[in-house]
Amino acid sequence: MMDRYSLLEKIGLYIAIAIFLTFVLLPFFEMFMTSLRPLDHLRSAPYKFWSDEFSFDAYSNMWVTVPKLGRYIFNGVFIAGAVTVLAMIFVVPAAYAFARFEFKGKAVTLSLFLAVNMFAGAVLLIPLYRVLRTLGLLNTYFAMIIPGAAFLVPMGIWLLKSYLEKIPKELEEAAYVDGASKMYTLRRVMLPLAAPGLVVVGVSVFIGAYAQQYLFAITFNQNSDYMPLPAGVFEFIGYQDVVWNEMMAASLVGVLPVMLIFLFMQRFLIAGLTAGAIKE
Amino acid sequence: MATLNLKNINKSFGATQVLFDIDLAINDKEFVVFVGPSGCGKSTLLRIISGLEMATDGQIIIDGDDVSEAHPVERGISMVFQSYALYPHLTVYENIAFPLRVQKKTKEEIHAGVMEAARILKLEERLQFKPGALSGGQRQRVAIGRSIVRKPKIFLFDEPLSNLDAALRGDMRVELSKLHRDLDATMVYVTHDQIEAMTMADRIVVLNGGRVEQFDTPMALYHTPNTKFVASFIGQPSMNFIDAEVTGLNGGLEVTLEGNVPMVLPVDTTDAAVGDRVEVGIRPEHVFYAPGAGVLNITVDILERLGGVSMTYGGVAGCEKFCAALDGEAPISEGHVVPLGVNPEDCHVFTKNGIALKRQKLPALV
Ligand SMILES: Nc1ncnc2c1ncn2[C@@H]1O[C@H](COP(=O)(O)OP(=O)(O)OP(=O)(O)O)[C@@H](O)[C@H]1O
Ligand SMILES: [Mg+2]
Repeated sequence: MMDRYSLLEKIGLYIAIAIFLTFVLLPFFEMFMTSLRPLDHLRSAPYKFWSDEFSFDAYSNMWVTVPKLGRYIFNGVFIAGAVTVLAMIFVVPAAYAFARFEFKGKAVTLSLFLAVNMFAGAVLLIPLYRVLRTLGLLNTYFAMIIPGAAFLVPMGIWLLKSYLEKIPKELEEAAYVDGASKMYTLRRVMLPLAAPGLVVVGVSVFIGAYAQQYLFAITFNQNSDYMPLPAGVFEFIGYQDVVWNEMMAASLVGVLPVMLIFLFMQRFLIAGLTAGAIKE
Repeated sequence: MATLNLKNINKSFGATQVLFDIDLAINDKEFVVFVGPSGCGKSTLLRIISGLEMATDGQIIIDGDDVSEAHPVERGISMVFQSYALYPHLTVYENIAFPLRVQKKTKEEIHAGVMEAARILKLEERLQFKPGALSGGQRQRVAIGRSIVRKPKIFLFDEPLSNLDAALRGDMRVELSKLHRDLDATMVYVTHDQIEAMTMADRIVVLNGGRVEQFDTPMALYHTPNTKFVASFIGQPSMNFIDAEVTGLNGGLEVTLEGNVPMVLPVDTTDAAVGDRVEVGIRPEHVFYAPGAGVLNITVDILERLGGVSMTYGGVAGCEKFCAALDGEAPISEGHVVPLGVNPEDCHVFTKNGIALKRQKLPALV
């Protein structure tokens, strides 16, 4: 255990963490405060930190203002989830191959993947649009899922590859010597050991998918039935007014399912699962 | 029954050849140890025997069958790895049961197999633990347990004790020897610890740079090393070498050691000629304190009194780092010149190419 910090170091650490958390969480806090305020408060100076007029009304009114809000929230999670599943189907075998096998062009393909990641999705929007139109996929879920997955596969491969490389090769060799087939070894040895890595990669892909779907949604999809939340919240921008409090309320409610998934996943992220595999 | 024959094994990784023409015949129930310095190809040879690695050339024959292309299970081998290679997410029980589960044995058979292995290796108390909660010695025993449940014909061990502390290593050495006796199986064991090699082996293969230097019993390696490499590798502390010149061939090899010391050594002189430069090998344990009758004079740099013996390090003519294991009570001290004696029968002679001239007066044991 390496937790031998002096008191001073500990205080410093906690201050650093506090500053960091403030930066990360302050927007959420402000979102929450905004969602409680009546609309006319937003333009009134001076800024009121607390007021008796605060209420949770926005949380019920938003469903009326934007009737398809529930659908949007579902779409957001559904698209990100589908992207994750699709991407992982490609990531797992590819990462395994890159981690374990030697083949011609391995280094080249790996750096190509990295290069692809450097292209912002935006650069490729026009060509992608044409591809999707040719395939007749515009205005479908696929228009958001397929490009979403394609952009995240390279990152997933890189992440999972480095995780798989840390699993000692001898474990597979031992299984091989004991007569286990490749599939049995994958199922009984590799995947259980890779579980924390799979969760980390899965979660990263999911976050990436959730964040990037906005771009694909507004370019490749006009059907409001398929809109994910990040694009859907635009409906709170009316002709005259922006219903800020309800927009913030909707955004917060929209991230809620994602938060819950994360809380649930966290228990898989325990470190040290490979302890005792080999002598270090 | 399990004999193992290696025929002309060669192995290259890409352009680099790491094993050269390995020919070995290992008998049934024999405990054979591969020793050699790091990187000499011990693990590679073991992996070729196991089937994890394919030889570039040559054949592996087990019980008369050519298994060069066969799967490890068909070869009837099991392997204990240099690292323990335990499955960290499975309990000790499941780790040991793994090879049986692969074979789709019934629940009862698996249970019986695991319990027997656990009994032999004294792991009954630990069956429900994960490897992470075990000590080094226990992990090693689990790894061995996993290798014995399948009842293989040949056991392969790759430096199984190298990470244990000295005391535990001693215990495990004894346990492994006992295991060998109880299981009546052929065992091939890799180590670079020559004490392990000397104490456990029926016969030892000394590897150097991918070639077999010598394959013989421990005592034969000690008393009749074929080469200077084997002579310096086997025996602790290492043999001393002193340059010498052949001065005559009458009644043995007449030599003059560096420092003008004449000796007559009882070795085969067929390949020697007057005027040849040779090296005389003298083991530290074969020199003794000889006041008034010294052959060599050592200037003592360091003296370690261990009780029974006095390890004496210093320079003699022709050898700057000479080591002598003298009597514990020898009246010597650092900084002084001390006369040492040695019996000519105990000396080894090597040609300039490092080949031994056969000794002709050997102890009874060999
Ligand atoms: N997969 C591989 N690819 C290329 N070279 C290899 C490979 N495996 C082993 N070698 C080389 O073969 C030689 C023998 O290696 P090996 O592991 O058999 O040595 P060793 O005798 O077991 O050494 P140690 O005592 O350090 O375990 C070394 O020079 C090593 O670099
Ligand atoms: Mg090795």
